[in-house]
Amino acid sequence: MRRNLLVFLLGFGIALIAGWAVFPRALYVRHSQPLDFFHKTHAEKSGLAQCDSCHVIGSDGQYSGIPRTEVCAGCHSDKLGTSADEAVLVDSYVKPSKQTPWLVYSRQPANVWFSHAIHTRRAGLACTECHGHYGETDQTRIYEQNRISGYSRDIWGHSISRLRRAPGDGMKMTDCESCHRRHKVEVGCLGCHQ
Amino acid sequence: MKVSRRDLLIGTAGVTAGVFFTPVPWKLLGDVSIWTQNWPWIPQPPHGPVETKQTACTLCAASCGLRVRMAEGWPVGISGVSTNPVTKGALCPLGFAAHQLNWHPRRLREVRHHGYTASWTEAQSAFEKACAEGPVAIVDGRPGRAASSVLKAFAARHKTSYRVALSSESRALTPYAIWGGVPVASLGYDLESTRTIVSFGAPLLDGWGTPGRFTRLWSERAAGSSDPQLRLIQIEPTLSRTAARAWRWYAPREGSEGTLASAVALVLLQEHLVSTQVPIPQVTLTDAAAQTGLSVESIRELAHMMVERRPVLAIAPDINPSVAALNVLLGAVGKPGGVVLRNRASASPVPFEADGGAYRAVLIDSTVPWEFVPQTNAEVFRFATWDGGGSKADWLLPSPGFLEELTDVPTAPTSAADTYNVAANLVAQSAGTISPAQFLTKIDSTLPDTEKAIHSRCEEIFKTKLGAVYADQPTPVKEFESAQKMEDQLRKGAVWVGEAPRAGSFHCTLKQWPATTPTALASDWAETWAAPVFPPLAAKLYQESTLREAPARRQA
Amino acid sequence: MIARYGMVIDLDRCTGCGACMIACAAENNVPPEPPRATPRTGITPMLVRALSNGRDGADRREAFIPITCMQCENETPCVAVCPQQAVEVDKSTGIVMQIPQRCLGCRYCMTACPYHARYFNWWDPQWPPGMEKSLNPGVSVRMRGVVEKCNLCHTRFHGAEEKAAVAGRKEIDPADYIPACVEACPTGAILFGNLADPNDPVTLAAHSPDSFRLLERIGTEPKIHYKTTQDWIRALADKNANHPTEAQHV
Repeated sequence: MRRNLLVFLLGFGIALIAGWAVFPRALYVRHSQPLDFFHKTHAEKSGLAQCDSCHVIGSDGQYSGIPRTEVCAGCHSDKLGTSADEAVLVDSYVKPSKQTPWLVYSRQPANVWFSHAIHTRRAGLACTECHGHYGETDQTRIYEQNRISGYSRDIWGHSISRLRRAPGDGMKMTDCESCHRRHKVEVGCLGCHQ
Repeated sequence: MKVSRRDLLIGTAGVTAGVFFTPVPWKLLGDVSIWTQNWPWIPQPPHGPVETKQTACTLCAASCGLRVRMAEGWPVGISGVSTNPVTKGALCPLGFAAHQLNWHPRRLREVRHHGYTASWTEAQSAFEKACAEGPVAIVDGRPGRAASSVLKAFAARHKTSYRVALSSESRALTPYAIWGGVPVASLGYDLESTRTIVSFGAPLLDGWGTPGRFTRLWSERAAGSSDPQLRLIQIEPTLSRTAARAWRWYAPREGSEGTLASAVALVLLQEHLVSTQVPIPQVTLTDAAAQTGLSVESIRELAHMMVERRPVLAIAPDINPSVAALNVLLGAVGKPGGVVLRNRASASPVPFEADGGAYRAVLIDSTVPWEFVPQTNAEVFRFATWDGGGSKADWLLPSPGFLEELTDVPTAPTSAADTYNVAANLVAQSAGTISPAQFLTKIDSTLPDTEKAIHSRCEEIFKTKLGAVYADQPTPVKEFESAQKMEDQLRKGAVWVGEAPRAGSFHCTLKQWPATTPTALASDWAETWAAPVFPPLAAKLYQESTLREAPARRQA
Repeated sequence: MIARYGMVIDLDRCTGCGACMIACAAENNVPPEPPRATPRTGITPMLVRALSNGRDGADRREAFIPITCMQCENETPCVAVCPQQAVEVDKSTGIVMQIPQRCLGCRYCMTACPYHARYFNWWDPQWPPGMEKSLNPGVSVRMRGVVEKCNLCHTRFHGAEEKAAVAGRKEIDPADYIPACVEACPTGAILFGNLADPNDPVTLAAHSPDSFRLLERIGTEPKIHYKTTQDWIRALADKNANHPTEAQHV
């Protein structure tokens, strides 16, 4: 009996270890961005100190997202420095007028409508509330993609159990809902879906 | 220690129990269900901010203004331009899905010779050989464009004939051109000033002229009232869409519309309801009643009704000399509310059918509707963007697609005032396509350049100082600082509208009342769409609903 | 802002051209259905039907009626029957919101809808190669097995809200929110607006003596009104909606 119990617990333990330690790593495949981009350096060196210097909300309310190559080409029409990443930008994307295939960490499914204009202008939320302080670093994070659903790890959040999360980590519908509940902003289904 | 089978089973049980205390089953459940909703063969719409650009539609001669929404460099939505005074924001039903046309399965992407793939070089040699061997005709479907000047120049320099394929609306105006000695391309209808319109089968509310022009006018002045400001009398054998909405509907037998027009003219003359002097129609009311199936009383009633509120204008869908003569009698020629001469007089191009010549080869421009089949044994070089099927063409030559070519749109055939649109290309020309003008320029590089021709036309308009350019706000031409500034606005999708036609600027003289010819059938909505294929979404109208009949000749 | 978006469609001005149907399909990324689709199995969130007074010859009268989701306000039938709560009435706009991604495809709502205004995705949406580049970015593509219907071009409402947010306004500018069918109609037969606003032209038109609604006797309180001076059309309003494969009179 004791042996059976031990074997059972052994199996149990193996499952726990596999499920909590191995599974989260195996579930995601890591991709690099097409080139490294340093937010802090750009903010300091070229006076693009605000998020919306490049991540622009247009006059009609549309959000530009990650800036198009034309925006980068405003300064980088030719190589300004000697970094290998800049060479990739200029040679592979600026000169042939192609869009850089950035991997978007917070890309939502097609049926989700999130308005940056409404959340930043009307609700007055700061960019850091959802996106963290990424823009103040020189880090180019690895893009981790869920092998099964295809979405970025940022959507579920880094923590597989969704406990003890950093603010802004996790962009699932329940995260939107809890923030809306806290701020008592009621919207119907089509308020966020399209 | 020996590992027994029991150990394995119990171990597995432990693993299974443990798994439920890990995220694995719960996360997998969620992720797999997301996976099942995102099959890779289901397309995703593009991302990205949407930019709105303006241009003009080139699918037929109506010159509609287009507002095109672009995302990631491709058109993703089309609507009309509400500030365009010609169309007032309307488009034909097919225009709303036209941005999908460039990916139509029948898009031509390679040169075809008798059904086999060929190359542009082969096509060019064949055409040059044909030009050397015998008479060649170049057929233009939309004369007056900048590209037309290239075709004309080639014809002049290389002893080929420049001909045109006239639309049914242009053909309807030819009697006035002949009787008045004016170019047919300068004639139009002043619908805005008339109070009674008698349509002898012209589908005024369903595909005639420029979409929006008459539909908006009719909606404002005629719809929903038993005593409207604008009376629409529809004369048509069947209850068409226009007839169903008309103020009055008369149903003569098919083909007898000309006889009816002559009979009505006879009543007007006999009862002195009009003061114009014209030769008497050689028809009797009893004969007309027998041919049309309407009673003599109805014919009299129609005649009286037509002249109750003047000005009155009669419109036929295609060439109908009796209806044209009726207009002369009604005083609807060269006067407000009638057939008018626009200010820009241009030389009259010769229709293809005019000579009935035997040609060695015929080059057909992509603007010629697919229904145009030259009655000739010539070698046919057919430029087209989409394959209309069943074509007699020896060579099918792929032209640039929708929004792929910088071109211009001259005045629409039925327009009262001169107009000009520049249709900017919003997407790059597809690989492997060459426009007729580009093709001829490869043979003769001294031919005029289309872009320069557009520029000259803009300068010409600027020099006249007439009319206004309608962007978001209208600007009179004389207020522009330079021709270039005016051209810049036109290139961004504005439309130039010339001045209203001058009254009394042309007259028609009738030596005798024309003999009644069998009238052509009224064209239906499918036929007025010049591109040979429909946007795939048009199937909503006939396949997925019973709103319209499936188009007979077109294979959408 | 409590709005109740609705329409008044003037049947004296509808010429049955079908521009609204195609503009709707283009705006909402409705796929061109496979050749085996029929009027019963196609997807036409805006559908124009032909009506006639049943007579022949000179006495025959015909008209056309655009049918779309009526945005029922009272005991909305589809909302009442959905087991998934995939459809709800939005409190702030009055729009009956259908979320296809939540639908499980039981089609109970299609049975419940008295106006036959709901459509099922029988097939995977497919476009000819490359045509997916021309899809409208603001509207998600539905998968096979879900029901969809008119949402009053809610994507355009989103666009109007964003414009208002950037301009610092709390309310949208009505000129920014025009559904595709309204914009497409060449005679301006479709009037769209906020029925909660007593000064809105649509409210005034809805209260005119010429206006009526379909199947008023069953009490769904639709927000899509119709308007005509012709009595024979009005007489058809309380009859059952005709079978989808018949084009003629009801």
